[in-house]
Amino acid sequence: MDLTYTSEQQALRDSLSRYLDRTYTFDQRQELLRSDRPWSGDAWKHFTELGLTALPFDEEAGGIGGTMADIVAVGEILGEYLCVEPYVSCVVLAGQALRAATGSDPASRLLEAVIGGEAQVAFAHEEGAGTPAAAHVALTAREGAGGHRLTGRKELVLGAAQASAIVVTARLDGAARDPEGLALLLVDASAPGISFREYRTIDGRAAASVDLQDVPAQLLAQDATEVIEEIIANGIIALAAEAVGAMNALLRQTIEYAATRQQFGVPIGSFQVLAHRMANMKMAYLNARATLLHTTALAEAGTVSAVDTAVLKAQVARFGRTIFESAIQLHGGIGTTDELPIGHYAKRILAFEPMFGDPDFHLRAVGAAAGVPAR
Amino acid sequence: MNLDRDPALEAFRTEVAAFLDTAPTDAIREAGRRTTSAFAPFDQAMQWQRILNDKGWAAPGWPAEYGGTGWSLEQRYVFSEEYARRDLPPLLPNGLQMVGPLIIDKGTDEQKKRYLPGILSGADYWTQGYSEPGSGSDLASLRCSAVRDGDDYVINGSKIWTTLAHRANRMFMLVRTSTDGPKQAGITFLLLDRVDYPGMQIRPIVNLAGEEEQCEVFFEDVRVPASGRVGEENDGWAISKHLLTYERGASVTAPRMRRHLEQIRAAARTVPSPYGGNLADDPVFQRDLGEVAADVISFECVEKLIHSGHPMAKDPATPSMNKVLGSEITQRLTVLRTRVAGVGAVPRQLEAIEVGSGVEPLGSEFELTAMPWYLNSRATTIYAGTNEVQRDLVARTLGRR
Ligand SMILES: Cc1cc2nc3c(=O)[nH]c(=O)nc-3n(C[C@H](O)[C@H](O)[C@H](O)COP(=O)(O)OP(=O)(O)OC[C@H]3O[C@@H](n4cnc5c(N)ncnc54)[C@H](O)[C@@H]3O)c2cc1C
Repeated sequence: MDLTYTSEQQALRDSLSRYLDRTYTFDQRQELLRSDRPWSGDAWKHFTELGLTALPFDEEAGGIGGTMADIVAVGEILGEYLCVEPYVSCVVLAGQALRAATGSDPASRLLEAVIGGEAQVAFAHEEGAGTPAAAHVALTAREGAGGHRLTGRKELVLGAAQASAIVVTARLDGAARDPEGLALLLVDASAPGISFREYRTIDGRAAASVDLQDVPAQLLAQDATEVIEEIIANGIIALAAEAVGAMNALLRQTIEYAATRQQFGVPIGSFQVLAHRMANMKMAYLNARATLLHTTALAEAGTVSAVDTAVLKAQVARFGRTIFESAIQLHGGIGTTDELPIGHYAKRILAFEPMFGDPDFHLRAVGAAAGVPAR
Repeated sequence: MNLDRDPALEAFRTEVAAFLDTAPTDAIREAGRRTTSAFAPFDQAMQWQRILNDKGWAAPGWPAEYGGTGWSLEQRYVFSEEYARRDLPPLLPNGLQMVGPLIIDKGTDEQKKRYLPGILSGADYWTQGYSEPGSGSDLASLRCSAVRDGDDYVINGSKIWTTLAHRANRMFMLVRTSTDGPKQAGITFLLLDRVDYPGMQIRPIVNLAGEEEQCEVFFEDVRVPASGRVGEENDGWAISKHLLTYERGASVTAPRMRRHLEQIRAAARTVPSPYGGNLADDPVFQRDLGEVAADVISFECVEKLIHSGHPMAKDPATPSMNKVLGSEITQRLTVLRTRVAGVGAVPRQLEAIEVGSGVEPLGSEFELTAMPWYLNSRATTIYAGTNEVQRDLVARTLGRR
């Protein structure tokens, strides 16, 4: 078993970090967020040049045949720099959905454009309560004379208003919580009947509520429960990688701060209660990263189970909270301001927590499963 | 021990309810619903204080001779309960709970006459200038200096984390007046009757929730009248320690915590559980809420024991214990809030949360306020002395008995 990154992955991480070091410092990022741009177009262009948008797709589709480990290797860096570009939503979630509909013409062309960095596609799944599984989808797709039509509402759709098309999870049949009858559909973002309420998330990403009223849509895949579950699982792994990257930065910056901040004539890190708290942060990081890397290896081997991703989702959120709450507390007053990266890392992890199901949901799935997965 | 139901108390409850139902304006009510920390929206909180003061109810904790209500402990609880039930904005604490009681205890007659009416009515807002960039937990290391010159002190240095200094018109502060001897022995307590003295500059700081609440204040040769001194020169440490017992728990807070619980439970009734039904019916959620609810009730018992003057409450560690318990329960309540709000807490809605903005929130009011509450409440274990330092203080008292 090898849980280290390959030299190619390491090289990719290094060149991505070098670029972000130059162009995506915390101050530059804050300036970007204060502008009315949703994210950095230059960064997206650079990601494309580095091959990130082609990473998870096989060569047949125009990709470079990367693996989940490649996505994770990159995701950790995107988390460390608090990138707001919609990498996970456009490439991992929407891209994989497009790839699942092989053969369908607009999907292949759209995927090509995603890979080439020319198109933004969003993935709309969330319906407001965490929507942790495919079966929870309630939004309906009705088949009529001219094709399918979608009616309903999707929440927290990252990059929705900037996308040219949106992949939507919907149900052709049945009611919410029914595992059958699910489908993936594609809608044009400028189709009649679609409206957006745009906002930024607490961690600075461009998102929108999407309201769909009888919107024409093209069917990408039906009987899609398994496909949707796999897309969600990959999305969870990729988002977890970003959160773990954020945790790494929080741990490092807190240790540095505690070594330099003096109170009572000594560095605050020398108070035992803080030293122990940092020790807990370090153990939380070890736990979270090990779980991430192991789950990633299972995904790469094609043997990852629903319980494995549930463990990852819950643990990264929980360990992440341990780390960011301690980071804020150890920084004292300065940790409660928006002017330091600390709080922004916290908000990235906080935003991750409810997406695709909160820890409570996933821990129950782990507890309900017969036994603990053998590894 | 006397927990009999008292008919007079029920009559009092009716009187309080009638007033609280009619006296606040719509903007004041909205401010209450938009309150996401210990500090309610400024303008409405001060306006509400004026209304309450006209009724004589602004300072239930003050002695009656200085404008307090003279209420019994039971009455104070009734008032707080009815107040919390209506989600009214809490009054800002600096004047009523901190510098006011201090002036009553330690101020000169002149200072009492000059300052207490404005504190009571809400005409004045007092910002607290203690902390400095280099002096937080180790407050006694503060360096902002005041040098006596005739009838004035001349101040140089800076303060940080001064809550709402940009909205204040007065300031109470600690300054260094001597560097001889132990560091605690050279500190003086000053009341500033303005915050716009020449040489004074105030810069707001944006907090985690995106609001401007704390500030930095810079002093460059600022001349203030020495008549604002409380106590003797270099005696400020003892004065501020006296004030701290107020800052760390002289108020009635449990009813507000109970209100949080009610709101969380009500919101949970509207949120579908991933297992069918609503979150409020979900046994795991019930158990988690039950744990916090039980701790809130125990905390209320502690609070009542303290306010009733029970011998246990004479322990010097009491204010610190009260502060740690209260702040950590508050934080757990806000975690539950965000959990119930779920993805509804992820959008950042700075404009919608502003009182009077008229901006429609994306979801419910509960979802709108959940994340700001959580983020702001990270500070409750930091301000008024961090919980690490409080636990140290509690630990130090252990060997004494
Ligand atoms: C929202 C907010 C409002 C505030 N309002 C005001 C105000 O109005 N006026 C005012 O004067 N101040 C105010 N403060 C300042 C507050 O009192 C200080 O932030 C607090 O005393 C901590 O100081 P510090 O921020 O410098 O942190 P530090 O003292 O640097 O502490 C950093 C970390 O080290 C720990 N630590 C420090 N010493 C020890 C020790 N001996 N043992 C163990 N751990 C230790 C702390 O617990 C903390 O975790 C406010 C702060 C906040 C966050």
